[in-house]
Amino acid sequence: MKARLVYYGRLLLSSVILFIAVVTVLFFLLELAPGDSIQALVGDVPLSEDMRERLTIIYGLDRPLVERYLTYLGNVLTGNLGLSVGTNNEPVLDIIATRIPNTLALAIPSFLISTTGGIILGSIAARTRKRWLDGGISGLAVGLFSVPNFWLGMLLILLFSITLGWLPTQGKAPFGESGIDPRYAILPIITMATTELAYKTRIMRSSMIESLGQDFIDTARSKGLTSSQVLWKHALPNALLPMVTISGYSLGMILAGSALVERVFGWPGMGLLFIDSIDRQNNMVVLGIVIVLTVTIIVVNILTDIVYGLVDPRLRARFTPKKKEVVA
Amino acid sequence: MTTPTPKPDAVLGTDAPVVTPTEPIAALERKRDPERSNWRIFFEKPTTRVFIPVLVFFVLLSAFGPLFVGDPITAGFPKLLPPGSAEHVLGTDHLGRDFLARVINGGRVSLLVGFSVALLCMTIGLVVGGLAGYFGGIIDTVMVKVAEFFQVLPGIILALVIAALLGANVVFIVIILAITMWPSVARIVRAESMRVSQLGYVESAKAAGFRGLRIIASDVIPNVMPPVLVATTMTVGRAILIESGLSYLGIGDPSRPSWGALLNSAQSYMRDGWWLALFPGLCIVLVVLAVNMLGDALNDSFNPTVGRVK
Repeated sequence: MKARLVYYGRLLLSSVILFIAVVTVLFFLLELAPGDSIQALVGDVPLSEDMRERLTIIYGLDRPLVERYLTYLGNVLTGNLGLSVGTNNEPVLDIIATRIPNTLALAIPSFLISTTGGIILGSIAARTRKRWLDGGISGLAVGLFSVPNFWLGMLLILLFSITLGWLPTQGKAPFGESGIDPRYAILPIITMATTELAYKTRIMRSSMIESLGQDFIDTARSKGLTSSQVLWKHALPNALLPMVTISGYSLGMILAGSALVERVFGWPGMGLLFIDSIDRQNNMVVLGIVIVLTVTIIVVNILTDIVYGLVDPRLRARFTPKKKEVVA
Repeated sequence: MTTPTPKPDAVLGTDAPVVTPTEPIAALERKRDPERSNWRIFFEKPTTRVFIPVLVFFVLLSAFGPLFVGDPITAGFPKLLPPGSAEHVLGTDHLGRDFLARVINGGRVSLLVGFSVALLCMTIGLVVGGLAGYFGGIIDTVMVKVAEFFQVLPGIILALVIAALLGANVVFIVIILAITMWPSVARIVRAESMRVSQLGYVESAKAAGFRGLRIIASDVIPNVMPPVLVATTMTVGRAILIESGLSYLGIGDPSRPSWGALLNSAQSYMRDGWWLALFPGLCIVLVVLAVNMLGDALNDSFNPTVGRVK
């Protein structure tokens, strides 16, 4: 138990350090930005003297660099991501919070679709004796992996919205309505899921091939199990481990990719907010989103690590002292 | 991973073993003269024979194409002309500019970014990964932490932030992408050079009194090259994809539109100008596909342990 606490304690500590490193890099990037730092902070909007003074005090811009850095770090750590000056001085965190559900509405379905699809297609490709089937799935995966997802989105719009007129092109609901209309979400979800699906199929195929080559598979076969029992009950659980890791690490890529997909479909999520804020040079919002993203990714990676330790009994060895470790 | 044959150490004059005992027997039987036959396996693959010409075509087109097509910048008439006419093979864009000229010039930017980023990543990766893997200790710890940093913060996000704050041009984008993408190569170099450092010929070089840097340069790096080549090849594709995403989002050099930038302006004319969205994207897909397929083929040829199940 103690070893376990030490392990997770160190994991937590290194995550915090990583987070501080990200904030530090962001802070110095902001420092490097050319021109008037207050103007850079609020972006390309007119600034009243009163506001300028308030911001100077809030951010302590008259004080030395180290002190300012510590203030910024303190603000971020206490959840104060600053005010978005361009848009009625709302707190940045509030603005981001209103967009998060929209991004999740795309990210969660596409995560589920791509993970299930990737596991099934990857397993089939690894197991099949039909070369054309393996070749087809693998080829499709490499092919889709090479397609920029935003371009795929444009093609889907061209085909299903403009040519066939089946689905809407932009936004998350008909004009003037709130909420999310599922018809608007279909194309963005497909777009988002495709690249992920390709990636996961590739990973799954190679980890399944490796898993099927292990000795315990021969044991299972010699017990007389059918090949589908061997595949799904014995090989699959082992082949899934790399998928757990990949899911954690690929989250960053999904969220980064969501910026592109949301831009193509005009979907008002966090990604579109990010892009719009860059266009308007609303730097506080830009940095705020990066910070929120970083926290999310770090938390998911910690969770992945915990899940990994739970599902793979072999990894429990890392909690026990070295001498007790049994060679597999 | 790959098990390249150690080269006989000419300097030492010793006969290093031709193969290491750890190498799988099946692989030994397959390749008598491993180094050459790996390349032969690579070049004899059908995918290689299809995609090397594709890649060469795009490289030549980007290198020399701009000399033969017209001006991609100056506006003209007719506007939004569909492809197929003799004068404008790929039609014209919303400002009446010849689209073929724009696609070819765009390829120059995209390919330049892709290959420069990959070469930079390979160089940084070899140096940092080689040092970290061979010496270990503090260099290794720092490298692993820095790599972790870039794993947490996706390159495209960091590139967007940097470009938004500091501005963007082609050289700048190449540098940003290299900074964010080198860890994937360095990681592989590190793992491989840790492995190679344990092998007999490195031990004997150490025993002969060669300095660490010298051993890294002459013994470690040549032997970690096959997986590094695979990673570098894949980096070309990823860099082209990320660059296209960045310039689709409007981060890029406006005076030198890449394929992604062409897609950015195509979005507004999808109803009347489908070809503006189709051709640049098709080019990206073909180049990235070629690079990824060649990377896979390289990996298969140099990595005999990855085979199919019986």
